Amino acid sequence: MKSDETFSIEGAEPMEFAPSVFPEPDEDVEVTRRRFLQVMGASLALASAAGVGGCTDKPTKEHIVPYVKQPDEIIPGNPLTFASAMPLHGYARGVLVTSREGRPIKIEGNPDHPASLGGTDVFMQASILSLYDPDRSKAVTHGGDVGTWGMFFDQVTNRLARLRGSGGAGLYILSSTCTSPTLEAQRQELLAQFPKMRWHTFDPLARRNTAAGLRAAFGRPLSVQYDFSKADVIVSLDSDFLFDEPASPRYARQFADARRVRADRLQMNRLYVIESTLSITGSMADHRMAARPSEILSLARELAAACGTEGNGAPKDVSKHSRRINAAADDLRQHRGRSLVIAGESQPPHVHALAIAMNQALGNVGSTVQYTQPVELDPPDDQHSLASLVADMRGGKVDTLLILGGNPAYTAPADLGFVDALQKLSSSSALTARLGQHEDETSLHCQWHIPESHYLEMWGDARAFDGTASIIQPMIAPLYGTKSVHELLETLLGRPDRTGYEIIRGFWQSHSYAADFDAWWKRTLTAGVVENSAFATQQVPAPHSLDVSREAATAATSLDLVFRPDYTVHDGSFANNAWMQELPKPFTKLTWDNAALIAPQTAMKLGLEHEEVVTLTIEPRSVEATVYVLPGLPENVVTVHLGYGRERAGQVGSPSDDDEWSRRGFNAYALRTSEHMWSSGDLSIQSHGHKRHLVTTQNHHAMAMPGFPGPVKREQLQPNAIVTPEMPEDERDVNNRRLVRVITLPQFQANRNIVKDLGGEVEKKSLLSLYPGPENGGWDYSKGYQWGMSIDMTACIGCNACMVACQAENNIPVVGKHEVDRQREMHWIRIDDYFGGTLENPQVHHQPVPCMHCENAPCEYVCPVGATTHSSDGLNQMTYNRCVGTRYCSNNCPYKVRRFNFLGFADAETTEQRRLQRNPDVTVRTNGVMEKCSYCIQRIMRTRIEVERMQVELSERARRADDDVTRQQLNEESQRREADLIFGLQTACQQACPTRAIVFGSINPVAGKKMEVADLKNDPLDYSLLQELTTKPRTTYRARVRNPNPALESNTGGVA
Amino acid sequence: MTTLSRGVELTDDPDRVIAPGETFASVTDQIAGVVQRPVTWLFMSAFGLAFTGVMMLLIAVSYLILKGVGIWGIDIPVAWGFAITNFVWWIGIGHAGTFISAMLLLMRQDWRTSINRFAEAMTLFAVACAGLFPLLHLGRIKYFYWLIPYPNTMGLWPQFRSALVWDVFAVSTYGLISLLFWYVGLIPDLASLRDRAKTRFGWMSFGILSLGWRGASRHWTRYQTAYLLLAGLAAPLVVSVHSVVGMDFSEGIVPGWHSTIFPPYFVAGAIFSGFAMVLTLAIPLRALFRMQNLITLRHIDNCCKLMLVNGLLVAYGYGSEIYTSFYSGSVYESFMTINRFIGPYAVGFWTLIFCNVLAPQILWFGSIRRNVIVVFALSIVINIGMWMERFIIIVTSLHRDYLPSSWGMYHPTIWDWATFIGTIGLFFTLFFLFARLLPVIAMAESREMVHETDGGVHPPRKMEPMHAR
Repeated sequence: MKSDETFSIEGAEPMEFAPSVFPEPDEDVEVTRRRFLQVMGASLALASAAGVGGCTDKPTKEHIVPYVKQPDEIIPGNPLTFASAMPLHGYARGVLVTSREGRPIKIEGNPDHPASLGGTDVFMQASILSLYDPDRSKAVTHGGDVGTWGMFFDQVTNRLARLRGSGGAGLYILSSTCTSPTLEAQRQELLAQFPKMRWHTFDPLARRNTAAGLRAAFGRPLSVQYDFSKADVIVSLDSDFLFDEPASPRYARQFADARRVRADRLQMNRLYVIESTLSITGSMADHRMAARPSEILSLARELAAACGTEGNGAPKDVSKHSRRINAAADDLRQHRGRSLVIAGESQPPHVHALAIAMNQALGNVGSTVQYTQPVELDPPDDQHSLASLVADMRGGKVDTLLILGGNPAYTAPADLGFVDALQKLSSSSALTARLGQHEDETSLHCQWHIPESHYLEMWGDARAFDGTASIIQPMIAPLYGTKSVHELLETLLGRPDRTGYEIIRGFWQSHSYAADFDAWWKRTLTAGVVENSAFATQQVPAPHSLDVSREAATAATSLDLVFRPDYTVHDGSFANNAWMQELPKPFTKLTWDNAALIAPQTAMKLGLEHEEVVTLTIEPRSVEATVYVLPGLPENVVTVHLGYGRERAGQVGSPSDDDEWSRRGFNAYALRTSEHMWSSGDLSIQSHGHKRHLVTTQNHHAMAMPGFPGPVKREQLQPNAIVTPEMPEDERDVNNRRLVRVITLPQFQANRNIVKDLGGEVEKKSLLSLYPGPENGGWDYSKGYQWGMSIDMTACIGCNACMVACQAENNIPVVGKHEVDRQREMHWIRIDDYFGGTLENPQVHHQPVPCMHCENAPCEYVCPVGATTHSSDGLNQMTYNRCVGTRYCSNNCPYKVRRFNFLGFADAETTEQRRLQRNPDVTVRTNGVMEKCSYCIQRIMRTRIEVERMQVELSERARRADDDVTRQQLNEESQRREADLIFGLQTACQQACPTRAIVFGSINPVAGKKMEVADLKNDPLDYSLLQELTTKPRTTYRARVRNPNPALESNTGGVA
Repeated sequence: MTTLSRGVELTDDPDRVIAPGETFASVTDQIAGVVQRPVTWLFMSAFGLAFTGVMMLLIAVSYLILKGVGIWGIDIPVAWGFAITNFVWWIGIGHAGTFISAMLLLMRQDWRTSINRFAEAMTLFAVACAGLFPLLHLGRIKYFYWLIPYPNTMGLWPQFRSALVWDVFAVSTYGLISLLFWYVGLIPDLASLRDRAKTRFGWMSFGILSLGWRGASRHWTRYQTAYLLLAGLAAPLVVSVHSVVGMDFSEGIVPGWHSTIFPPYFVAGAIFSGFAMVLTLAIPLRALFRMQNLITLRHIDNCCKLMLVNGLLVAYGYGSEIYTSFYSGSVYESFMTINRFIGPYAVGFWTLIFCNVLAPQILWFGSIRRNVIVVFALSIVINIGMWMERFIIIVTSLHRDYLPSSWGMYHPTIWDWATFIGTIGLFFTLFFLFARLLPVIAMAESREMVHETDGGVHPPRKMEPMHAR
């Protein structure tokens, strides 16, 4: 520590801020001017002190280390970035946390972390808001009354003392999925002290099928990881690998990178998806087949047989899909070692085993597929399952039950009767305690509730999908008197006074072999990953050949129910996160609600209409749901998403009394049983005969699909928005808006100008315009930085990460369900989903739409007060202070990207805690003011200021220099540093995007170097939205390129 | 044929602009008598109803200022709703007054005499109602004055390319000139009322307002010159105001707005709706105050003819809009038109076609033009139709524009209705006050008319304007 002078904080006091937020402001710390200056003078110390010192504790000596940038001095007002990791269902995703004056305000992906590669998903982005959730539990409670930690400590130590005699029999711990090495060490120590204690894990999204498949194939537990960068042909068997794999952001990046087509790169991978619902992975497929969940096993068998997998025996019945299956198999076989078959967690172990066998047969092991030792502490198995815990609870064996995290009372399979057992246990002489961030459904049935720290306010560690460990650094002292899971376990181990810092650091000190641990520790915290901690690839023997032919496909019942984690609230843990509730879900654009998704054909057959209220019954359980008719689902399948119908999520996630608008969907867990975690047959539907309104952000979810009746009556008028080369010329020209241009790779190879050709006449003409050019008062855009953006529709997977990132970065308020229904959502960037193809087999195109920053902006000339103007660097700027709110700019915006603050949303919604998240660089807009995407102007200006300061400094030095050589060198250095700074500039959406679909930069060369965005705009795939309006948007799109199998789809587009 | 209390027979001779047998005294007595008679219960209840509307407006506006424009049904994409619809509608209604006063004066249409006074008042009140909306619809009402060019420390001016700024000038100029024109025309009548005042308060107030008018021939000379000059100033405004209002829309690139026909078509529409409102007011007025001798069927008939002409112009505008939207070859324009025909607001579109195009065709028949009941009903129909026209132009154009992803609907809220109905209440409140406190018909001009028609026996000489001698 002492050697680390830069970060020494001795003598520095933590800075006080917003003390009113906290229940127990520290009386000792009083900020006087003198103290303030003292703290400011303490340079770097300020950051770390403010970061962890907070307000509730004495000055601390725990050191956290900022990421990469290690400025010589801290400048108040400048952000600091720290590396940490976010555990999501146990698995770490590396994050960089932006901290402003001690407040973490923004999450980015850590480029050095293998699971994120710098990208993020919605959960990482939204987790910052969960930290400031005002509904988080703030105190220990006992039987609903406020208790103290000391009371709990006394009780639990007494218990443990008693249990120690019996070796811990009767001590039960239920945790959710864990990968933390420290936790594992603590667990082992606990087991040593209490050999007869039982540790169970339960996670509603646990990867049980994957683990079971691996165990069945190899006879021992393993973890699997994929390398999409090497895969030319990918077959997904019901796997939504772009969303719900532990390394989804990484996979998304690799998958998209292998799809990026440019004039000089004419290759892309090919994705086949067989799935039982409509997933974002399915929307990226070149060939997609919707099948009932029970059919996928037989399809997988057919595929395996066609791939030449031995031992599985060719299925006797050749299905109607054999042509497509064979084509995919041929494709796989032709790409031995460069192909990949991936099975989804929702499929039974046999499908996983088949995928493993196929990858083996195709020689993919070692290239696109790798096996390692298991990452999870307890690979889920039956012995440690929730079911056996419930049996013990019923059998009276449980004396003390600690539930660490999770929310099993809400997420437990309905057939276990967990709540019932827990209730009985709590009213018996047993002790039940629960560590959780909210006093939720589980806390309600436990005697004790211990508030849990958010990952941004605790020390911890976790492993990523490949075993890479990361240290979780606290970014702020706990806002309330919360405990981390490590601190709680340490208490059980009889060391109640050890802090999280000591626990984590102590663990790694004893487990790191570094000669200089302090240096290692600092290096590890800086990088955000523990070096060389990834598990070694295991050489695996040939998998056991499973005789899956005997595994008869479950008899198809009339209707299947498919469960999926929600794209925004996930398993329900984000239910009280307003950003996630308001985030429109892919495809449905539903907000604040879930629904029973049904394909149009099925709905027609069952006589159901959109928004009809129904009862979904799987004997003996039933729930009431609302129907949402969505093309693309398999026939006779109803998809429901988990995470809704929470009763005690908080003010955001649970309904309040008598308010129809506070309804938050239905609880799909009520139909989920331990046998049927992901799909279930024997579903019956009864209509209630009335409708309930679902709130969406796009009323025309089946946009651009002719023939689709549309969810709302009288909306038959559907314009064509998608244009493809297959369309006859006249169809392309008449009545087509050409918003989405879709081509195939062979078409692009044959004709590089095909995207321009799809644009029709306007692409060829130089259109006359009344907008002023440089010769009559307009800006001259040929000089200086000229900002522009390119959005790749081939790469966009529609994951919504950009939307949440933008919301976090730009202080965008949440408007609530009712106001979303009134079409007043405030998102500055949105994802438009266009449905092409046919009603049975639609093709969904995701189009992110931020402000276009038109050079000829229609919004500008209609503003009576000049509140929206153009800057010389090509930005369409919005001056909030000047806006009087006529809203003409929004009316005149053909892209409708402007958002109006109709009711002072930012003021109404905001609690004190929530305000802590706000980005101080961005104005919080008031009532009655128009706002919109600014290309993150605060980031642009920060970079420009840095560039100018650097240039001033270097030019001053050059002026003083004696010789021309030095001058020349300084000039070169200035150029180089300018390029570095500008090339490193990213908008929030760009930085968040896991697939790098969004590229931002200057379209003019910077310091003589061309930026990527300029190249992309020169590429023949580039096109503008609504080009005929001569708005000259600075945001342009890259056409969606598909790579269909020629055997299945001829070049002229006939889908076989 | 009804007989007035004085025994004067009403005539349906369309040539007559004033009933036979009128004298200077009878005309003055009759018109001034309205002001001097005590109020009736009928008047009070009508006034009370209108005033309730004003109170409703007050509540709606207070709540609006408190909460923001979000209390209305506007949204993205339909960021303009009732407020702008009402604004254009009221401004349109305000057109007939100046048209009658100024244009017809310059064109030496003597029949304007009996109706110009209240038509001008109607204009003023309609402009007052209209003027409220651009203010109220602002997100930040407190900064409305930023639309006015005034020297300020920020060194900022309005953005003159925006038609909304032109609107500020057009409407405020129009309001000001209308007020002046109306007031100047009132001066001799105010003097008459001063001379007939029975209370000291009335005497004092009319005395101050009449600016020392003595009826001297020099007064009359100056007065008539000023009146004519004002008429010359006001006449172009009839065209300019609604042209600018039309440009508010045609300046935008929204399909359904972006059309060069808007200025003339808006002016025609404005006069159309203005005359409809004149008739809506004149027909009950002449019955209520028994002024069939002054507002004769000739007036009704002429108003109807003008309404018919302007209705046809408006119909031409519709036709031209529809034709160009298809002829343009623009998918957005043609979609917009089809969407008006069969989209979610099709009922509104066909309502306006019925009200503004089909219904006025009955005015080709003279017998119908002189049937006050039918004309009154028709005037109401046209008022509704013209309101609907503005609603359709604004809402259907916005709700389905370029990107289908942003399409939406507009659902007016209770506050939209309260504000709209509130301004109708305000309009009638002001009108009732005017009818009680000031002569609804220009007395001096009516006396002139009596003189020129020899007591209504002869048709007037049509050679010269009344004041131009």
